[in-house]
Amino acid sequence: MNSGNDEAITVDKFPFGENSNSATPLVVETRGLKKTYFGKVDVPVLHGLNIRIHAREFVAVIGQSGSGKSTLLNILGALDVPTGGTVLINGTDISTLDEDELARLRSDDVGFIFQAHYLLNEFTCLENALMPITIRHGEANEEQTNRVLHLLNRVGLGDQINKHPDEMSGGQNQRCAIVRSLANAPKIILADEPTGNLDSRSGEEVFAMMREMNRESGVAFVMITHDDRLANAADRILLIEDGNIREISKEEHRREALRISKQSGD
Amino acid sequence: MKSLFGIFISALVPKKFRFEFQLALRHLLSGGSQTLLTISAVGAGVIIVIFITSLIFGLEEMMTNLLTESIPHVVVQVKDPKPDGLQDAENPVSNKIEQQTSQLKFIDNGEQVVRTIRGLPNVRGVTSVVSGQGFASKGANPVGVAVIGAEPELLDEITPVTKDLVEGKYRGLGSDEIVIDTELAKDLNVNVGDRIHLTSSSGQADSFSIKGIYDRGQGRGSAYVTLRNGQSLFGLGTSINVIYIKIYDIYDVEDLSNTIMTLTPYEAKPWTKDFSRFLTNIRMMEASAYLISIFSLIASAFAIASVLVVSVLQKSAQIGILKSMGARQQQILTVFIFEGLGVAILGSALGALIGMTIVYLISLLKRSDAVIGGEPASLFPVKILPVYIGAAILAAIISTVIAAVLPARRAAKLNPVDVMR
Ligand SMILES: Nc1ncnc2c1ncn2[C@@H]1O[C@H](COP(=O)(O)OP(=O)(O)OP(=O)(O)O)[C@@H](O)[C@H]1O
Ligand SMILES: [Mg+2]
Repeated sequence: MNSGNDEAITVDKFPFGENSNSATPLVVETRGLKKTYFGKVDVPVLHGLNIRIHAREFVAVIGQSGSGKSTLLNILGALDVPTGGTVLINGTDISTLDEDELARLRSDDVGFIFQAHYLLNEFTCLENALMPITIRHGEANEEQTNRVLHLLNRVGLGDQINKHPDEMSGGQNQRCAIVRSLANAPKIILADEPTGNLDSRSGEEVFAMMREMNRESGVAFVMITHDDRLANAADRILLIEDGNIREISKEEHRREALRISKQSGD
Repeated sequence: MKSLFGIFISALVPKKFRFEFQLALRHLLSGGSQTLLTISAVGAGVIIVIFITSLIFGLEEMMTNLLTESIPHVVVQVKDPKPDGLQDAENPVSNKIEQQTSQLKFIDNGEQVVRTIRGLPNVRGVTSVVSGQGFASKGANPVGVAVIGAEPELLDEITPVTKDLVEGKYRGLGSDEIVIDTELAKDLNVNVGDRIHLTSSSGQADSFSIKGIYDRGQGRGSAYVTLRNGQSLFGLGTSINVIYIKIYDIYDVEDLSNTIMTLTPYEAKPWTKDFSRFLTNIRMMEASAYLISIFSLIASAFAIASVLVVSVLQKSAQIGILKSMGARQQQILTVFIFEGLGVAILGSALGALIGMTIVYLISLLKRSDAVIGGEPASLFPVKILPVYIGAAILAAIISTVIAAVLPARRAAKLNPVDVMR
């Protein structure tokens, strides 16, 4: 079933590493990114990662539970600060930004989608989808509202716009969250297991939406997933292992997945 | 698409704060019983403040009026020589004689002293008075009575008689006319128009026609005659023995009496000397009014703070998601301050409304033992002071916002990564 999606895979167009010669702009780059959680016991999580994400890319991040996927994603979105190395978002070293500038960056350049949908229950679906605009500008203008309405229609929520999150299904909530993450037309969307709470059918639907938005608007996606089929449908797959990250080919990924499923099958 | 309320918000809230305002409003609306609880806490605080202050200041005003309306604020007399022990020891005999003969020590340059006092600041009215003791009789049994001789028009300004009249008149009191109180009238079994006999402590006697009868409801009162009659009753000639002074600011009385005592050789006794207990009571009542007000406001502030702390905890995930969408710390802070402000404004408005209604209803309660003929007195002498209501509202708003700031700052500082795991 992946074949349909695989057609558009552009892995070769975005070779991993320094020798990328693509004209497509970099949206996120890390150099020697390190993260250690300091506490009673210091937990080193990321040991110095070099990552480059280009515009239009759809990247899947996989790795075992506790390997540091969420940690990485939060740092890429300027929600968390690294303990070493640099993070460039849209060419800006985020360590040079103050609180308000970081907030502005999160508002203008980054969109988040989380596992739990985290829509605001006090607001309707439309109001939720407009929230990043409301935060940024106080109120959405007609053009912005129309654009978001259009997106809501695209993800099949045209008749749900006045419902509150608790009156919608999990899949509908997550589709609304996708539209919300797109509201300010960001450069990159960071999705932390966006289908993790959904049954496989609505998970696939939600993934298809994201892929569609990615193709249509060219917004880059970094998606953490435990779902091998979804990972396979991404442009490339990054594997976090023992504090390091590396790109793995689809072949390697398939072998790996098979091995793991055999292991757990025994 | 846009609701009526949406239009209202667009008109009232600057665009810059619309997100914060909207979110605060939704929090309050979705807060339900929590919101009602905090609003009631603020309201209760304001009700208590309004109730206590209006009751205590009403009581204070009533007591002050009662005490100072009918009494002179400063009484000027010849100094009492008794405390002067040296004189006593040196010349005991002459002292004794003086005490017996001149029971009334007179102010011989009365006119001049009155003029001097009239020129002093804070003085509202001054009048010369002859004051002494005597016996009134109609036929057989004489009854002891305090006699005051003064010009009715002047005395009415200081210790009003006219307004307490039950029968007859005081103004225009003629020679050989007298105004007595109901107690004496009852004792002597006399009425307006009857004649009574008056003997002064210095021996002179005269007969007077009753021109009026008054009642102050304060027990036995004085008998009023003209200044001239008083002077002749007590053998003072053209002298007087007392000067009554009424002033504007009754609590600024000590200054005036000190000034008088430096300007004249006489003693000037402020009203506060006789009512020092009363004064301390008033001060204590005021202090307790302020204390109760402050404590009730503090209590409601704590109630609000604790509810808001819980609310911030409940909303920490939401705060995290808002920050991930680009909300600044200041915006989160503003949301919770708006919430506090909303609670404060609603609560204090509600409290003010209920508080004033309660105070108004209480002011309608009348005493059952009202004086016949007079206005029925209020059971509780409440006084609604707009200043205090305004101050109560303002204090409630300020304390609520302060109570909101603490949890709000905590909310603003929350790390989105920590609260969304
Ligand atoms: N605030 C923290 N303090 C200390 N250790 C932390 C903290 N947050 C995460 N960790 C640790 O860092 C490691 C990586 O956590 P992270 O949440 O990034 O893993 P993950 O790959 O997203 O896992 P999962 O697939 O289960 O979501 C884990 O071992 C975790 O226990
Ligand atoms: Mg995770």
